Order: sequence, then C-alpha cells, then structure tokens
Amino acid sequence: MERRKYPLYFSFPALSVFLLFFIAPTLIGVYYSFTDWNVNADSISFIGFDNYKALFGEPRLGKALSNTLIFAAAVTLLQNAVGLGLALLMNEAIRMRNLFRTIFFMPYVIAPIVIGYVFRAIYHPEHGIVNEALGWIGLGSLGQDWLNDPKWALFSIIATDIWRVAGFAMVVYLAGLQFIPKDLTESASIDGASYWRRFRHIVFPLLAASFTVNVLLSVIGSMKVFEMVMVLTDGGPGYTTEVFYTYIRSTFSMGQMGYSTAINLVLFVLVTVVGVPVLMALKKREVEM
Amino acid sequence: MRKSRALASVMVLAVSAAALAACGGGNGNNNAGGASSPAASGASSPAASGTSGAKPAKDPVTLTFVISNTEDTTAFTKIFDAYQQKTGNKVELQALPGGDYDNLIKTRFSTQDFPDLFLMQPGTKQYVKLRADETLHEWSNEAGVWDNVIDSIKQAQVQDDKIYGVPYGSTGMMGVFYNKDVFAKAGVNPPKNYADLVEIAKKIKTAGVTPFYEGVKDAWPPQIFYFTGWVTQVDPAIGDEGVAKLNSNELKLADIAELKDLFAKQKELKALGLYQDNVMSGTYDELQNEFGEGKVGMTFMLDGVIAQLEKKFGKDFVAKSVGFFPFPSATDTGTAMITPPNQLMVPDKAKHAAEAIELVKFMLQPENVDLFYANKPGIPIFKGATSELYPVQEDVKKYIDEGKSKVNIQNRLTPSFVDFSKTLQNFFLDGNIDKAIKEFSDNYQKDGKAKVLPGF
Repeated sequence: MERRKYPLYFSFPALSVFLLFFIAPTLIGVYYSFTDWNVNADSISFIGFDNYKALFGEPRLGKALSNTLIFAAAVTLLQNAVGLGLALLMNEAIRMRNLFRTIFFMPYVIAPIVIGYVFRAIYHPEHGIVNEALGWIGLGSLGQDWLNDPKWALFSIIATDIWRVAGFAMVVYLAGLQFIPKDLTESASIDGASYWRRFRHIVFPLLAASFTVNVLLSVIGSMKVFEMVMVLTDGGPGYTTEVFYTYIRSTFSMGQMGYSTAINLVLFVLVTVVGVPVLMALKKREVEM
Repeated sequence: MRKSRALASVMVLAVSAAALAACGGGNGNNNAGGASSPAASGASSPAASGTSGAKPAKDPVTLTFVISNTEDTTAFTKIFDAYQQKTGNKVELQALPGGDYDNLIKTRFSTQDFPDLFLMQPGTKQYVKLRADETLHEWSNEAGVWDNVIDSIKQAQVQDDKIYGVPYGSTGMMGVFYNKDVFAKAGVNPPKNYADLVEIAKKIKTAGVTPFYEGVKDAWPPQIFYFTGWVTQVDPAIGDEGVAKLNSNELKLADIAELKDLFAKQKELKALGLYQDNVMSGTYDELQNEFGEGKVGMTFMLDGVIAQLEKKFGKDFVAKSVGFFPFPSATDTGTAMITPPNQLMVPDKAKHAAEAIELVKFMLQPENVDLFYANKPGIPIFKGATSELYPVQEDVKKYIDEGKSKVNIQNRLTPSFVDFSKTLQNFFLDGNIDKAIKEFSDNYQKDGKAKVLPGF
C-alpha cells in the first residue's frame, strides 16, 4: 500500500508553538544563566560562569543533587516493580478486577499537594495512622517521626510518591500486556513452562516498550520532584530532604533570577545525562513482535 | 457553499469583536475614558489640592486594595464602607496567598500591574524589595498623615529621610506567653531574670506540665526565641551603632558573642528536657491547643497567638489565663520586643493613586482609626486612639510606657535572616552552635549581596 504523504508545511503550526514556548525560552534561559539578573539590581550584565562557580561551591547543591538522585532511583525502581506487579495481578481473571484497577490508579489523578497534606496527617508521630497501626499490631516500638527525623524523612516522601504513581505504571504495563498474544503464553504453559519462566522468557521481553516508557517517564518525572517534597517537609528538617526544585524555589524567592536559571540549567543537563543513556539502553532491548 | 462559509466567517469575526469590546468595556465604573488616572484626576482630587477630607467624587472609581489572606479584613471593610458612603468610591479587596505574598507583590510590580493600595510588612527593608524610590509614593512631607502617629513608630519607617509606607494597625509584640493557670498550679511567678526562668521551667516540669513548646515542624516559631532574646541580650551589647554596622556589613552576626549565647541558651533548654516530646514535629496549631488546654506552660511567641487562642478558647480564657513577659536578661526582667504594624503603600503609577492617597488620609482620621480598633483591638500607634486591650496587651503597654521596649531587629535591618528557620531546624537536630551561627551569618550576608546593598 502506498503511504500517503502530507506537505511539510502542515507541521509549521505545531513547530512554531514548540519553538515559541519551548525552544526559545530554553535558549533565553541559557543566556540568562550567564548573567547577574537580580530583581534588586538596576541592570543585567553578562558575568560568564560566575553563577556556575558560585553554585558548585554551595553545599546545598550537593545535598539537593544526592537527594534528587536517591529519590529518582528509588521511585523509578519501585514504581516499576510495584506497577508491574499490580499489572500482572490485574491482568488475571479475578473478581472486581475493574474496581481494583480504578482504586490503584486513583492516587495518580489526585494532585500531589493534596496527597502531601493527607500524608502529613498519616505520618504524624503521635496521631498518625502509620504509628497507630504499628501500635495496634504490637510493633509500637517501630514508630517513628517519619517526616521530621532526617533518617526517615526522604524515604517517607519516596514511599508516598510510589503510592501515588504506581497506578500509572500499572496502566501502561496493562496496556502492554494486552498486546501480548495469548497463544504464546498458553502454548508455553502446555509445554510445561512455569509462571516465572513464562514471565521471564515471554512476557517481560515483550513488555519492553512499556518498560521503556515507564522507566523514562519515571526518571524524568522523579528528577523534577517538587510538590510532594514541598508539602511534606519543605526540604526539611533543615536541608535534609532538599531537592533541586526546592533549592531553585528558594533562590528565585531571593530574586536571584540569573543564579536560579543556572541551577535550572544544571538540572536540565542532569536529566539529559541520565535520561538519554537510559532511553538508548532500553530501546536496544525492545523486540518487534 | 462559499457564500455560507464567508457568512459564517463574518459572523465569527463579529461575535469575536463584540466579545473583545465587552472585555474592554468591563469595569466601566472604574475609569470612564481614563478620566480617573492619577494625572487626569489629580486636578480635581482632594489629595492634589492639599485638603485632607475625602469628598464625594464626581466620577466614582473602584480602588484595588491588596492584602495577604492571612490578615483579618473585617476592620478594613468597615472603614471602606464608610469611605464609600462618603465619597462614592468603592474599594475592592484582593487577598493574595500569605505564604507567597511578597513574591506576588514583586511580580505584580515587575509586570507593572500595580494595585492602587496594598498592605505590606513593616520596616524599611520593604523599600529595597519594591525599589521604593522608583515605584512608591513618598509620604514624609504629606499633610494630614503624621499628626497622630507615635514618633517611634514613624521613625521606624524612615530611611534616608524618606518614608514610603504609612504604618497602620497595632503594635505587635514577641516574648514569652505563659498560661497563668499552669503557673498557679506549679506555684511560680513570672521570672526576675533568665536563671529564674529556667528554674520556673523546671518547677513546671516537676508539676507534670511541659514547660516550653516549640513548633519546629512549622519552621518559623523557633525564630521568636532569637528575635525576642535579641532586644534583651544583643541590643544592649552592640547598641544602635552595632545595628548600623550590621546594615553595612561591617559587623558579622557570627562575631556577636551575645547572639551566640542565645544559641547556647536554646540548646540548654532542650538538653534540660524543657521542651515538649517530639519537638521536631511541633506545630503552631498544636502549640495553641496544648497551651489552651494547660498542657504547656510557656512559649516564645508573637502576639498573633492571642487571636488564635481567642478563637479556640474564648475571650474569657485570653483575659484571665494568658500572661506575657519579655525574654529576661541575666540581671532583670528584660526588654519588651515590639513590632510596628504593617504599612500601607501606594504605587505612584497605580491607576487611582490620587484616590488611594486620599483613602489613606481618610483611614487616618481619628474616627476611622477608632473604627479600626473597635473591630481589631490592639495596642494603638496613634495618639488619642482608644482600643480595648487584654491584660496580656496591657502588660506590654506598660513596658512601652516605661521606655523598656525596642523594635524588632528584623524591622531595623535591611538584609533579611534568610532560611533562619532551616538553620534552627538543623540546630535542633545536631545542636552544633558554631555551625548554626556560621550558617545564620553567611545567609545574612548572601541576602545583602542578593539585594545589592552597599558593603555586601
């Protein structure tokens, strides 16, 4: 069948919107990251790499960087593990399957800020459900001040975010599972392959496209985490849960626009440096059916 | 087909044009043909003619008054109703989120979206933030503004002989609020000096009540300890000259021994177990509850807590059970820390700047000042003004009348104590005094530099 070709200028409207609202601001941002743009200064001057020099001498950046990477790694890993597990479960012929699918997906459509406020109450050291529940089952000694103890604060945020986004990963994996021909798994089953073998050698390889989408979206989304941290701990206690965006927010509120833009650019580079190799590696292992 | 398409296009254009015209024509009572712009209306405005009383406007306008949504607007609304009755001009209240109020105002300034009038925190540091000399109306020589304002409050607004904000409201205070019932139960009285305060706290603990509560989770409350301790302990040591040096970066916060001692004092209170359990998860809301229920004896707090306690536990509780004393010094009861009220500011380029200036003068008339205090009682900053005060406020007024009060250090400095609450959260965790005061000092200097202040 001959493929129908459309004129190139059909893409101009979309391209111009993309240039105007994405490419142009990015390039302007790159320029301003090399300036001393400050709401308190009379003029804006080009200052070369001074913002970047100041930034890399700032201890808060190291904390923000490590927390962002820990958060991204943990959320990406666990979101996919939990999402895949739920998808496999929800792909089975179980009762009220659609209801469960809806319940698992629901947190994803709730605004992170709302979830944050709810979990602030859940994590409360004295009146929160988590510690109360531990007490009911006789494990009261394991109760913690989940959001205000530096040992636990970041992991509490991670757990909350996984609860929020696992349903989304589940939906993507479910979509992928629908495309796997049943005869492949059924014939393997007849041949005596166990569930684990069928999953490992048939299902998982054929889910590669869904895996790529989920992992990439997780990596990018989790490196840009902001609302959840802001509401649950605001980067605290102290700077112990500081991530890139909470740091950027505080510098913007001081009116340091050039400096803040430089931090944004560093995050942009970081997301690219992590995201592109991940995408390339995952694309390689995708198989055509 | 072509005809019908052309007809449809013409109709779409006509409807769009009508819609746009309707948008442009909205707010019609605000400004008929631009006649009420400052320049246009200036000739007929009472402000421009030098009179102080508001008169009925020929073409009534609607002024925008921007305020933080954390402020109770009742008192303002009453005055604005009176203003509308007298002049025909309306005042529309725009409440912006309190947490981002400063940033939202700055954003509106940078996009030239000026309100006609807005309420801002007190102190001259706001002048830097808003580029006052370029953007705001200057009030120092304005007739009918300063006649009744208490001089010390007026002076707190002066920078380089200029004033860009008119203080309006009540004197605030920070210090130690205590539950009188708890004190009676423990058999103690307000302290005579700092050592006495620690002894009292120990006795309260022995009586089974938490001596002090700190809202470390909410981050801002622990700062009060330092602000109120400053006027008692640091001001006498460095004097006004030292404050001036801090403003020009000739003195570093980290080099002030008396300030460092405040960190040591807070650490000692924690080490002695005089704060509540789970201090890191302490919140302002829980503080009010525990204080009102008599589970907490004292708190280093600002006067906003009075209104909150009134809401939760009633006027009777506040009148009978809430007491106040300043942060005690090593030798005496200390100095009361007061804060000037918020300031009213008018951007020169506001659409109705002349009317806004007139509105401010209207608000300053004695009957309207009294109307304000009738709806929002507090320690007045206007001579001859009357306000119903709680005993806890009377306690502060005595200190002010005896000359034993000082304006909050934050209202006297141009740079800010940026991220101080974060520093204190860390300090509550690790107790490292040197690290905390270094970070405090460094952040202060960074803010001075960010604000492009001379000397930084």
